[in-house]
Amino acid sequence: MSETALAVTAALLGLFVLAGGAYGLIYGAGMLRSSLLMRRTAVACYVSQLLVAALVCLLSPLSTAWKVFLVCSAVAYGFIPPLMWRLLESMHRQPTRSS
Amino acid sequence: MYRSQRLALRYFTAAIALFGVMVVAGLLSAVYYLQPSLLYNVFDFQMAKILHINTLVIWLLMGFIGAVYWFLPKELGREVVGIRLAEVLFYVFVAAVLVVAAVFVVVQTGKSNQFSMWFINQGRKYVEAPRWAAAGIVVVVLTFVYNVTATAWQARKMTGILWVLILDLIPLSVLYLDAFPQMTNMSQDLYWWWWLVHMWVEATWEVLIGCLMAWTLMELMGTPRRVVEAWLYIEVMLVLGTGILGLGHHYFWIGTPQYWLGIGGFFSALEPLPLLGMVVHAIYDAGTHHMKTSNRPAFYWVLAEAFGNFIGAGVWGFMMTLPQINLYSHGTQWTVSHGHFAFWGAYGCGVIAIVYLVLQQTRKATEFGGQSWKWGFGLLNVGLLGMVGGLLVAGIVQAMYERAQGGSTLQAFVVASENHWFQSGMYARLVFGALFAVGYAVLVYDLLRIGRRVSAAAPAQLSTA
Repeated sequence: MSETALAVTAALLGLFVLAGGAYGLIYGAGMLRSSLLMRRTAVACYVSQLLVAALVCLLSPLSTAWKVFLVCSAVAYGFIPPLMWRLLESMHRQPTRSS
Repeated sequence: MYRSQRLALRYFTAAIALFGVMVVAGLLSAVYYLQPSLLYNVFDFQMAKILHINTLVIWLLMGFIGAVYWFLPKELGREVVGIRLAEVLFYVFVAAVLVVAAVFVVVQTGKSNQFSMWFINQGRKYVEAPRWAAAGIVVVVLTFVYNVTATAWQARKMTGILWVLILDLIPLSVLYLDAFPQMTNMSQDLYWWWWLVHMWVEATWEVLIGCLMAWTLMELMGTPRRVVEAWLYIEVMLVLGTGILGLGHHYFWIGTPQYWLGIGGFFSALEPLPLLGMVVHAIYDAGTHHMKTSNRPAFYWVLAEAFGNFIGAGVWGFMMTLPQINLYSHGTQWTVSHGHFAFWGAYGCGVIAIVYLVLQQTRKATEFGGQSWKWGFGLLNVGLLGMVGGLLVAGIVQAMYERAQGGSTLQAFVVASENHWFQSGMYARLVFGALFAVGYAVLVYDLLRIGRRVSAAAPAQLSTA
């Protein structure tokens, strides 16, 4: 791997997770405030994460297996915040048993 | 207050003091990168580094042990079994740490023989403590395990958090035994050594801090037990599922079979996923409480723990964990950057949050706030961000010019070390390290003072009323 490819690939991988984190953060904030704008921003962050994944696939010299893994991972990121949110809501909704 | 809670306070005091030693040794190490001849043959770089990383492990470990001694009697409604032994061993532990530190500072090195291994330095990173001290750590940890399990047994009570904690204490103590074998084959030695370092940091400590955060959230925010326990189970499942085999991401350049690289890369690349869940959880908890709490310092340090863990371990880790990147980044300042950020986010912030929580209860303050904690919080976190930023730049330069371009030769090492970006990164690390040190001083000042004026004023107000 050339030094430029190394730096570009690493930066894209970092951005990939950062975009995923921003998606989770803003999604949560949007749900709390019932803000459509924030939820749309969260979706934009997720779309940017997908774009970063596409850039890694196109530009980086990573092997095909890692690129496939990254794409699958990007899809998984899309589900985590909404699923987590539902899980947290359902956990908090259940009545507290006496302990 | 239970005796074990008084013991917890002593552990926290020792932990915060060692945190300070870690900061000073770290600053000194940072200076060596810019002035390599500093204190040459008097107190060389490697000794400052040994102090820095060993005090890192010990202050966090003391923080964890103290936190368990604090929460355990509350959880079980009784005094900890064997508390007298635990109290004695605390002083033995502190004395051993002081003796080892004195040996590192004064004696430093010895001949390559058994005496040096037993009484000066084992020579293995993170577990340099001489063998007698390592044996002492085993005794302290086993006593700690006995305290926890015997107390639960005597109380005839078991909670979800305690189950997870007790099960976690088994690998926590067993893995430390990895500090003892004397292997002459370096590949074998490093192979097993990583089991200790990685499994402690990315498995058993993660679970331990998960248990402590569960208790913290229950006390700080009144989160129901079933919620924190359900979350704890999920976290443990995900962290262990991704963390254990993530071990392979350390197996570079030490002669391990190649399949480890793929296994390590795959599982450690999954590690950000549970951390993302943690971020969502932090937002949920913070939002449902409208950022309102009677202990703002603890609350903000808990938030810093969640986000620091995600960015430090997740983002910084993912940048370099895939084998084709890790091949070049391994062992550069890039990994140092990741290590600083991840340790701080995952553990440092958590321990500080617990200390604030405990102080509010011991000082009987209804509200915990003020200004100085904000300065401590800000300076420490900005200082850390600056340090990891500087180290990241320096590390990327090393990976690019020393490894990818230069082929890891000595000449390439020199070229990369003289690169102005590398130098700038190291200067930035020193400057922000100094900021971090100021933050530490403010933190200590705040820990000594917070809540005291309120609790002193409260009786006066009551008597006036």
